[in-house]
Amino acid sequence: MLTFLALTSVALLGIVPEQSQAIVIYTGWERHALVGSDIRLSCSFFSWRWTSEDVTFSWTYRPDGSRDAISIFHYTGGAAYVDNKGPFRDRLEFVGNPGRRDGSILLKNLELSDNGTFTCDAKNPPDIVGRPSSVRLLVFEKVPIQAGVITGAIIGVVLGLLVLIVVIYYLMRFLVARRVFSLSVSKHGKKKKEGSQQRQGPVPPADPSKIKV
Amino acid sequence: MNFAVIRRRWRRIRLEGGRSRLTPANWSTVIMLVLLAAIFVLHIACIIILLTATIDNAWWIFTAGNMPTDIWARWIFVNNSWHSVDFPQTYPQSYLQAVQASSVLACIFSIIGIFVFVAQLFTLAKGQRFLISGVFQFFACLCIMIAASIYTDQFHTDEKSLGSYGHCFILAWIAFALTFLSSVIYFVLRKKTAE
Repeated sequence: MLTFLALTSVALLGIVPEQSQAIVIYTGWERHALVGSDIRLSCSFFSWRWTSEDVTFSWTYRPDGSRDAISIFHYTGGAAYVDNKGPFRDRLEFVGNPGRRDGSILLKNLELSDNGTFTCDAKNPPDIVGRPSSVRLLVFEKVPIQAGVITGAIIGVVLGLLVLIVVIYYLMRFLVARRVFSLSVSKHGKKKKEGSQQRQGPVPPADPSKIKV
Repeated sequence: MNFAVIRRRWRRIRLEGGRSRLTPANWSTVIMLVLLAAIFVLHIACIIILLTATIDNAWWIFTAGNMPTDIWARWIFVNNSWHSVDFPQTYPQSYLQAVQASSVLACIFSIIGIFVFVAQLFTLAKGQRFLISGVFQFFACLCIMIAASIYTDQFHTDEKSLGSYGHCFILAWIAFALTFLSSVIYFVLRKKTAE
């Protein structure tokens, strides 16, 4: 029985990679950056196969409003080839680790004309069927406020204050009832204090002060 | 409210014969119940109006293309179906989020207020006022006033010929008036038991 199970699991392990050989590539969805700063565009992949030595990464760039994409980076055969003629010459650096399935690049000294879509395509032979993934780069002169941050902050602060006020109110009432503070908030304060020794009040019978008296 | 007394009253009215007789003694009970129902309905109406004004995206409507917009998204009619699009970058982001936040807070305060009112109905001592419910409605009034004021002042100020204010904007100002009225009623009303 056990050997049968072992054999089926080994067989399945052999079958499954054959069927789902698609490689899955992960990049970010959208990146925001300031003019003049550096940004790291990450790209990694998931594959059923072990990382082979012939793994390749390639990045292409399509400016906003343009239809053509140009190739700006290629890694193959253990060597990285960066753009030396296009818009990113001397500004592109490979900071990935292909052995760990990381094909990230670093863009330095961003300009406003760098707005566009960067597409990463990775291949891990024999796992080559996959869909390239794109990340959109937005370069700003001033980083805008993210949608919903102020809204959430205002709502959170107001509700938090409300809860805090309610908690403090009930805490004060509880502490006054327990006679931790002797607070005389009403004009009957003095009379209240005098009669407090004999009054039962909302105090549990195991109150040490009562036992003393 | 002493519901046991009210129940006994109604049973007595029914047992008194074919036609129920509304004597001056029963009159006060009926009036109190009608008043209670009216206040409750007013509060529910406030909540519904606030929710509509917050959720439905129609504070401003552009006449070109009948395009409703604000405060969460803009709607355009393309290829026989409605699509929601983002706001242009010219919108003042911080004011937009302030309007969103205050209208949401107004809804929250009003909804909490109805539950507090029902709770106070059962727990308040005789002769006391519904202060906390009134406070919640007052905060709702304040918040929706803030939202509507910021919107009136900051948005579409130089586009007056391109469109008109939509139904959500009008509902927001109506909600301001109704919540104010409701909070005043709560501040003035005293709890009486049915004698």
